[in-house]
Parts: sequence; C-alpha cells; structure tokens
Amino acid sequence: MLLSYLKIAWKVLLRRKFFTFISLFGISFTLMILLVVYAFYDHTVGPHTPEKKVDRLLFVNRATVSYKEGNGSNNGTISYSFLERYVRPLRTPEKISISTYFSSTAAYVGNQKLDVDLKYTDGQFWQVLDFDFVEGRPYTLSEVQSGAHVAVLNERTCRAYFGATSGVLGKTIETDRVRYQVIGVVKDVPGMRFNSYADMWVPISTSTQDAKDPGYFGDCMAIIQARTPADLPAVQAEFSRVVDQVPVPDPKKHAKVHVYAGTLLSSTVRWFNNNSKPDDGVAALMGKVALVTLLFMLLPALNLINVNVSRILERSSEIGVRKAFGATSGTLIRQFLVENVFLTLLGGVLGLVLASVVLHIIDSSGFIPYTTLTLNPRIFAGGLLLSLLFGVLSGVYPAYKMSKLQAVQALKGGRN
Amino acid sequence: MIRHLFTLIWNRKRANFLLVAEIFFAFVVLFVLGSLLVDSYRKYTAPLGYSYEYVWQVDMDPNGQPISRQDATFERLIQHLKSVPGVRSVASTRSNTPFSFSDSSTEFKAGSKSTGSDIYSAGDDMQDVLSLELAEGRWFNRHDEAAARPPLVISQEARQALFADGPAVGKIVRTMDDKEFQIVGVLASSYRGRGEFQELEPAIFQRSESLVDPKDSANFDRPRLLIRVQPTATAELEQRMTKEIAAVTGGWKTTVTTLPEQRTTRMKFALAPMGGMALVCGFLIFNVALGLFGVLWYNISQRRAEIGLRRAIGATGSRISAQFLGEVMVVTTFGLAFGLLVAAQFPLLGVMGIRLPVYLASMGLATVLIYVLTAICALYPSQLAASVRPAVALREE
Repeated sequence: MLLSYLKIAWKVLLRRKFFTFISLFGISFTLMILLVVYAFYDHTVGPHTPEKKVDRLLFVNRATVSYKEGNGSNNGTISYSFLERYVRPLRTPEKISISTYFSSTAAYVGNQKLDVDLKYTDGQFWQVLDFDFVEGRPYTLSEVQSGAHVAVLNERTCRAYFGATSGVLGKTIETDRVRYQVIGVVKDVPGMRFNSYADMWVPISTSTQDAKDPGYFGDCMAIIQARTPADLPAVQAEFSRVVDQVPVPDPKKHAKVHVYAGTLLSSTVRWFNNNSKPDDGVAALMGKVALVTLLFMLLPALNLINVNVSRILERSSEIGVRKAFGATSGTLIRQFLVENVFLTLLGGVLGLVLASVVLHIIDSSGFIPYTTLTLNPRIFAGGLLLSLLFGVLSGVYPAYKMSKLQAVQALKGGRN
Repeated sequence: MIRHLFTLIWNRKRANFLLVAEIFFAFVVLFVLGSLLVDSYRKYTAPLGYSYEYVWQVDMDPNGQPISRQDATFERLIQHLKSVPGVRSVASTRSNTPFSFSDSSTEFKAGSKSTGSDIYSAGDDMQDVLSLELAEGRWFNRHDEAAARPPLVISQEARQALFADGPAVGKIVRTMDDKEFQIVGVLASSYRGRGEFQELEPAIFQRSESLVDPKDSANFDRPRLLIRVQPTATAELEQRMTKEIAAVTGGWKTTVTTLPEQRTTRMKFALAPMGGMALVCGFLIFNVALGLFGVLWYNISQRRAEIGLRRAIGATGSRISAQFLGEVMVVTTFGLAFGLLVAAQFPLLGVMGIRLPVYLASMGLATVLIYVLTAICALYPSQLAASVRPAVALREE
C-alpha cells in the first residue's frame, strides 16, 4: 500500500516539473537555514571536543554582588582566590578545574607580531576536558604545583611560530617576554568555546594570580565535573549551599553574593544576557526560538499549501474515480499526507546537502576563527524531524480540502 | 472596473484567502527587516565624531607592581612615550575605548533637566589623538588639575539634553550623588564610542583621574593609552613601544591593537547578523514569488473557458491581461491592508524602539516592493491569458 502511494507521489512529482521545483526549492532552503542555525547551536553548546562530557560538566563563570535596597549590583568574572576558597573544597563533584579566561599576549616571529591568546590552567583542566593531542602530552598536577614553565600550543600558533606542527616538543616559545617549553600540541579549539579556547595553555602557577587576594572579582572560571549526569542536581545543591554562606565584602552596603554553577547551555546564555538572576533564562530563550522557528516556517509552509492546493485540484478526476470506487475521506487524507511527507523528506535530504555546503563555506571563509561546523548525527536527526513537521504542517489543509471534493463534481473535473 | 474586480475577488474569498495570508506575511517580514536596515543605514551615515586612523590602543598590565607606585610609573611612561619618534600624541583613557565592547554610563542633571549619558575618561592630549572638534569652549589642560570642580566636555546630544538652546560652557552639572562638575567645552558633533551602529546618544568626557582612587585603594583601574602615530608607523614601532614600556615601567606587560582593527571586529559583529537576516529574508521573498507565480499560472490556465468567452464577445488581449493583473493587485491590496494594520502597531506600541520616520519609510518601501513583486509574478501568466484563442478555448469546453 505504502509502496504504491510512494510510486504515485513520484509520478506526480515528474508530471509538472516547475511545481516540483517550487516545492523542493522552498522546502530544501527552509530546512537548510534551520539546519545551519542548529549547527551553530550544536557547535556552541553541544558535546564537542574539548567539552565532550558536556552532560557531566558545570561551569562557574560570573559573580554578582548585589547592593542593599535594590541599589544595583556589581557583576564580573571571578577571582582566583574566591574559587580556590569556596569552589575547590566542594565534596560532591568528581573533579574541579580552575583556570583564567584567555587574554591576548604578543609573541614575535622575527619582526612580525603574533597574537597569542594565553590561558592559565591547573592540571585538572586536562582531565575534565578532552583535547585532541596531535603530539606530546598535557602538563600534570605536579608540574603545576612546582610552577614548571611548560606549555601546550594549538596547531595554528605552532605553525605560525615554528613553521611546523610536528617535532616541536622541547622547543621554547616566548610570549610577553616569558619563555615556556612546549610539551604538547592540540587541534585548534573554536573561539565560540570560550571556556576552553586559547592558543596556548600554561600552568596557572606561572601567572600572577594570588590565592590570598581578598577581592571576589578577577578573571577566572571553574569547571566542575560530576560523577554521573544524574549527579548534577546534587552538585548544584551543594554549590548553592556554599555560596549562601559566602560573606558579603561590605556588610553595610552589600546584600548578597550570587554565583551559579550551570550547564554549558545555561552558563552561555547567562554570559550573553549578562544575567545574574536565579533563573538562567534558558526556558524563555527556548520559547522565543521555538516561536521564531514556527513563524519562519509559516511563510514557506503557506507557500507550499498554496502550491499543493493547486496541484490537488489538477488531480480531481483521479480523486473522483477513487471516491466513486469507495475510498473514504480518511484514506484519501492519509494518502495525501504520505505523499506530502515523502516530498518534504526529499526536500529535507536536499536541505542537508545544501546545509553541508553552506557550513563548509562558512568554515573555509575564516569569518569565525577556528570553526569546524559539520553535519553530525544530531543535526541529521534534527533535519529529518523538521522536514516531517514541515510535511504535516503543509499537508493537512490541502488533504482536508481534497477529501471534501464531491465525487460527481470531481469526475467532471470541476472546481469547488 | 475596479469595483467589479473587488466583487470578483470577494466572491472567491475562500480560494484567495491563502494568497492574501501569504502576501500579508511577506509584507510583515519585509517591513520588519526594512525597519532594521533603514535604521542601521541612518546610524551608519551619521557622523562618528572622531577619526580612528593611525590611532593605536595600548592596554597594559602592571604585572604585580604595588598599587601605590602605579600612578607615578604611568605618568612617567606617558611623558616618555611622547618623545618616541613616530608617536604624535598620547592620552590616557579607560576601558571604553572606541569600538570596544565595554561601555559605561552615568546620570547627569543640570537644573531641572537630566539625562543618562555615556561617560568617557580622557587625558589632555585626547583632542589631538582622536581629532575631536570643539564647537564651544576648550579641551582639558593641566590647569584643570587645580580647578574647584572637575571639568567636563560634552557632545552635542548631551548639550541638547541638558541645556537645549541655552548657554552651556561654564555651567555646573551634578551626578546623582551630588558631585559637581563644570562644563568647559562642547564637541562640534556627537561622539559614538561604540562605533557606526550606535544610536546618537549623549556622550560626556571627564578628565583622566589617577589610576588608584585616593580615597579607596581597593578601587583601581588598569593603565590604558590611546596613541596617535605618524602615518608611516609600522609593526617595528609597535615592537619598540612594547620594549620601551617594559623598560620604563619595570616590567609592565603590553598589548597593542589599532583602532582600525578594533573597528573591523566591531563591524563584523554588527554586519554578520544583518547580512544573515537579509539573506534569509531574500530567500523567503524569492520563495513567495515562485509560489505566487505558480499559483497564478495554474489559476489562469483553469479559467481558459472564461477567457475564451470574453474574447469571443469582443474583449481585446490587453483588456484580458489588464483584468488578471488587476485581480492580482486587488488581492495584494487586501494582504497589504492587513499588513499595514499590523505594521502600524509597531510605532504605536514602541516594539523595536525605532523612530517614526524610519517606520514610515520602511512601510512605504515594503509596500512598493510587494506591489512590484506581485506585478512581476502576474505579468507572464496574464500575458498567457491574453494569448488564449477563443475558438480553441471554447471548443475545449
């Protein structure tokens, strides 16, 4: 049964090539745009190198000190000493890593300046995150403790500074007039992954970070790894218990210190919204995204409905014959929906191909540094789901309209 | 004739409903995008207020030097850099340098009037560094050190907001915590530190203060400079500057970027979403045009009998095509009427915070575009209709 529906659908597609082109063009471009947007989303907060275990990680990257009587608040990134004092001793997490945000430094190759984004990290950083090492190894906990001047580079910096990406282990790189020995080279990390991104990673003990600094604001962040994804709520509960106990810097002026440990998505949304409320704003954002997506799909769907209605009326004699031989409205609606979903799936496949081309163009244009936007199984599944949704959305009304045709009129080829 | 067309469309309102809906949505999409683009264009063509070419930004990190010594070191460094060949002028600044992603604002009041304003901090040489033009008064100088009230230079927008058309120079303004400032100068235009796509908003300059707050040593700032270099400056000067800064200050770390570089980054951030939106909308509109074309073509081929009859009783080809074109225009008008109703809510409810003339301009633009689009889509099908032979069409029936 299904097979014959598909056969009919295929024949109909071949009959009026121009209409087929309009339908497929609309579907495939709509899906392509949605897929590219989804690929950006997945690229920013999905499980990718180095944050492969994203479902077990929590990120602590902002602190807020609110003033009494709603007199505003101070927001900012957190100091090293705050994280060492309050986050490091947490007991529920499996591992905790503290690092600085990357900052720009200058290295010189001959007379040419090379911008090197430098990030100071502890040894746990390499256990919590999974980098792809081209060669060498990360630095260990004991190397961090002893303040060894060792560094891990990304491929781009390695190529720019040494002219090669292999055989550089043991060589020295000098940036901001400090010399480090290279012990590892990793694949480039996309700039959108701002929690782990850098050109060069070195032990935090070689920086000027002071564990005894009384200030709460600085330029550091913490990544917390839970034992299992199910453990995250327990870790967050312990974290908020600890933060509730943190004394305010000045009891006369300040009301409370707010720090949150959120998933990659939640902390990224917080970061971009500059948000320090208990609600991380993910639900509101997702609601808006869903609304915009539906609105965006509405116009191509209306277009497809219009084209479909025209095409169905063209087939009125076929419908008349089927009705005269006893086909019910339900059967006809089902047949038409199957045909339409077949069409949208075809468009979906085309959309996937187009999306991969567009992503490749974005990657190779170098517009966003170090992006590696690719289609992966998650995006593929998303694309198929979207085309199903699209197919049903645009098929229901024409199918309903078709099933309403009177058999006698339909056989005459008339219009309703 | 036109009334007749309206009756024709009204009689087939159910069949035309979807077309009307499609035109309505296409109009709304074009209107929203048009408003954003027109507004951005208006901002882009407004004066920036300063020149950024040959200006370098130097961010420094005292690298653990005790806070008590930083101010003296910074002062010594500024004097030294002025003597470096290739450097024209040097002025200290805060983190909200031109095109940076950092901003700072305060509320000021003068008499009964008050305004929120961006607040910038600038050294005595900033007028030369950024080529700022003054309309009234003067820029800061070292005599301001001893002034009773800290001096301010304000932009035209700030002048309008605080003094309207009255005199401004010499007036006293207060912040919300009643700290008093005296205005010594007014810029010739606006000053838009966030770049070309910033709204024309009030901007106020205060004279650079010491890095460390004398009353509260926990409140301190990082040393930052803007430097105007000679047009011949190269990367060599940059390297030399980094070395000299380290030597003069005893190990401060330096990052040098140029304002044109910063501007490129800022532009990328502003243009990428705009370009993306324009591409997506372009695709949507193209898609609608294709669909419209298909549907009209089909509808006309369905009405061959009617056309044949009209031709047989004496209608000319051009009158036939005029009828079909007219019908499409009437359908478009219905869609646009709904669309304009919705578009009118935008300025009434203040949805996007854009000025009324921009809304009106984009309404006009979107209306014209939609009419042109539908006319193009209807042109070929209506010509097909005109070429129907009455004898053939009637025999088919």
